[in-house]
Amino acid sequence: MNLPNSTLLVLMGLLTFALAGSGPAHATLGEGSDSIAKDRKALSAVKRATTSHAKYSVQEVASDATVVREFLTPSGVVFAIAWKGLVPPDLTVLLGSYFDEYKEAKRQLPRKHGQRRSRVKGDRVVVETWGHMRNLQGRAYDPALVPTGVRIDEIH
Amino acid sequence: MKFTRLLLGIFTLLPLLALAAGCGGGGGGGGDSESPLVSITVTPANSTIAAGGTLQFSAVGTYANGKTADLTAAATWSSSVEAVASVNNAAGSKGAVTGVAAGSTAIIAMVGTVSGSANVTVTGAGAVSPNVMTITVNGSLCSDSSYLNKPCVSVTICNPGSTTCRTIPDILLDTGSYGLRIFKDTIPDLTLAQVPSGSGSLAECVQFADGSSLWGPVQVAGVKLGNEPVVEIPVQVVDASFGTRPNQCQNADLSRQSARFNGILGVGISTEDCGPICVSNPGIGLYYRCSGANCSGTAVALASQVQNPVPHLPPQDNNGIIVQLPAVPFDGVVSTSGSLIFGIGTRPNNTPASPTVFPTDEFGDFRTVYNGVNSTSFLDTGSNGLYFPNVPPELPTCPDPDSGWYCPPVTRELFATTVGAFGSPSATVPFYIGNLLNLANSPNNVFKEIGGTSTFGFDWGLPFFLGRQVFFGMEGKASSLGTGPYVAY
Repeated sequence: MNLPNSTLLVLMGLLTFALAGSGPAHATLGEGSDSIAKDRKALSAVKRATTSHAKYSVQEVASDATVVREFLTPSGVVFAIAWKGLVPPDLTVLLGSYFDEYKEAKRQLPRKHGQRRSRVKGDRVVVETWGHMRNLQGRAYDPALVPTGVRIDEIH
Repeated sequence: MKFTRLLLGIFTLLPLLALAAGCGGGGGGGGDSESPLVSITVTPANSTIAAGGTLQFSAVGTYANGKTADLTAAATWSSSVEAVASVNNAAGSKGAVTGVAAGSTAIIAMVGTVSGSANVTVTGAGAVSPNVMTITVNGSLCSDSSYLNKPCVSVTICNPGSTTCRTIPDILLDTGSYGLRIFKDTIPDLTLAQVPSGSGSLAECVQFADGSSLWGPVQVAGVKLGNEPVVEIPVQVVDASFGTRPNQCQNADLSRQSARFNGILGVGISTEDCGPICVSNPGIGLYYRCSGANCSGTAVALASQVQNPVPHLPPQDNNGIIVQLPAVPFDGVVSTSGSLIFGIGTRPNNTPASPTVFPTDEFGDFRTVYNGVNSTSFLDTGSNGLYFPNVPPELPTCPDPDSGWYCPPVTRELFATTVGAFGSPSATVPFYIGNLLNLANSPNNVFKEIGGTSTFGFDWGLPFFLGRQVFFGMEGKASSLGTGPYVAY
């Protein structure tokens, strides 16, 4: 794994900001699971379920606006986050150190009018969105952190 | 991608006659035996209705003593040319005139030996109906910078409580959103009414699934759809310079040139663009209270949220919409036009034959099964293609930078199954996918066979609507097809 821990921190931040809808959060993609619990408490989000798969576990938390699922490696590193709800998360915070890379990749993408989807691919992070008003879905992941044998389609 | 070059349409709306049926003016009483009836006035004096349309007429009598009385129910009604318009003489329905065929006639009300009349002009079937708006896909209602498969309407926007209005073309018709959003610079000489939020002003940041966003204040406007009466509702005035944009709207469209439309008309199944969650939670990230340049999240009552205009139309037309577009041949056409019809099962022009009705969830979503994969799905005029997961056997995609589009060497016929949100009914839908790059290289702009990949579900965009009547039942509203939310086709 060639990514620093800060990478995980970014994903965790993505999660917390999604739930808050405003204000900064402290966890990011690439961080450990302890910060998820901390931020969930701060945001009044409710932990709904934890499910274990062979190669990862999923923690699902929900706020009024959005359900967020965080995907953790067996060692407890967040390698992906998926969301579904009224509003998408604010990636400024959630992507943490990945954000500038994401922003630049998005800036270089030609605007695609008439579509209800997007895929932004930076060097280390992929962010995909889909849906329509009141029901927006998306996911962010670091391909290098995704455990071997896990299909990207499982992140939703 | 190629962009269409279309003539910018110049629009002149037919002035609309205010068809308010006159009421008997003051006076009252009057009909005493000492004071004979001297005249009858029938209103409206000059009116136009469509064949099949109905309009209520009134008769007011004037007596020798100057008093007046409403004689609508007492009069005997007739039409001088029954083949043009008929008039109802049944108790409870007196004075209701129905257009039969194009032409002119006099509508006469008689009491004793006194009579009065009014002229009515009937336009042919297919002429202006009160509940129909024209849609052009590309074509005259779209600007010259439009993209493929873009459905456009024009909407008349008025100062609240005023007849000062402007008719704005190039408004994207969108069944995937709710409410009217209009760029501020399209209505420079109108003064809408700012919706307050505490001591500040209400503003909104709307994020779309393509990563774009719209920012601006929420203001009450008079909104006129086709020949429907004006409804006064909160709309979003798109203005990136308003206050300070929150993080979520840092990339908000700065101009209608970048957005490629003057506005969006969201007429999907929901009444508000947020709903109850925004009433109780100030931190959702949609609504903001701006005081000076400072904007922070705020809770908003339902009635102050941006409103889908359709549920606010008169009862006859507010239970749903029909999007009706003609079929187009393979390889497309330059443009086409169809209708947005208000109301379901309430008039001759909106009474469906027997479409299949698919109940949706609260978001207007149902399910689609394609190549064995069952995913969330919606019908969206605001999507310009058919976007679905590229599950095996995979379709070839176009080379970069268009790799989000399908590019099979020859056009493919494919099948999917649409399923109601709660498991039934289900129906097989054939559809077509052609080579986007080849098609986009032609002079045509409207195609039934363009589509691309999707990560999360099946988005039936504009090609689905070509050659169909597609019904959207508003949430909570009853109709001949059931109570919304549903879609039917």
